[in-house]
Amino acid sequence: MNIYVINGPNINLLGTREPEIYGRETLEGIAIDCKEKASKDGHIVKFMQSNYEGEIVEWIQEAIMQKVDAIVINAAAYTHTSIAIHDALKSYSGYKVELHISNPHLRESFRHVSFISPAVDAVIAGLGAEGYGHVVDLLSELPIKVN
Amino acid sequence: MSNSKLLIINGPGLSDLSSDNVTANEDLSLSGIEQKCIETSGEFGLEVDFRQNDDESELLSGLINDINNFDAFIINPAALSKSSVINYDAFSSAISEISNQSKPVIEVRIENIFKRNVSKPLQVPESGLGFIGGLGKHGYVLAIRSINKKLSNQ
Repeated sequence: MNIYVINGPNINLLGTREPEIYGRETLEGIAIDCKEKASKDGHIVKFMQSNYEGEIVEWIQEAIMQKVDAIVINAAAYTHTSIAIHDALKSYSGYKVELHISNPHLRESFRHVSFISPAVDAVIAGLGAEGYGHVVDLLSELPIKVN
Repeated sequence: MSNSKLLIINGPGLSDLSSDNVTANEDLSLSGIEQKCIETSGEFGLEVDFRQNDDESELLSGLINDINNFDAFIINPAALSKSSVINYDAFSSAISEISNQSKPVIEVRIENIFKRNVSKPLQVPESGLGFIGGLGKHGYVLAIRSINKKLSNQ
């Protein structure tokens, strides 16, 4: 299975940005963990991060064209603003999971609305940095969906 | 950590038991979910108590009475979160108490509740409540793995 893990703005600051909320794990650490977990069973993870909305849209379009099997997306702050990412995800027919390190529904009210949630299969939040590894593990165990 | 105890409670009606999830074609009976939870917990040596109750008061008093008797919690509120304010508040304070004791607690929904806006997630500010929705019975598996990891890191 081919899995894209796509991360949005400010996630490159993980480990130093408000560690009381997001933890001390760095994005590089998470990426290595996901890739190692996946490769044990012959799955491939491509791990990406961008601060630019359009670049995230292009990666989703690339996933559509390359017939990637699953997308895990942490759109970070774009979660609450981006109709463009919502639209791109709507056009993608593989497994799609929205992930957040913290639980946005327990935080400021402007984080309670997600434009991503209605466009994905599943939402996972508040499991910390380890949520990434758990999701990659689970997706690897699912049967491949024709898309 | 072996012999940790996990309480899984499922709310009234389990009304979000639908086919609208990642693995739509799988068996989604409550007994099937219970079996999966017992298997997954067993792999980690976790003791599991799996409950479902259509009576909100009984479900709540069961949770409140057992906060001190378990090390981790999975809650599927099902139809509960849409109903009485009194029960919702009692539920929230139970989750706060669990978090205050630094015990893992995760809300699991079978379907993606945001797709059709059928239900809202639990909102307990300043708690450590996790959320998993839309993965069918696999959501419980993921929750148990996450809980096991958290308990072993403690």
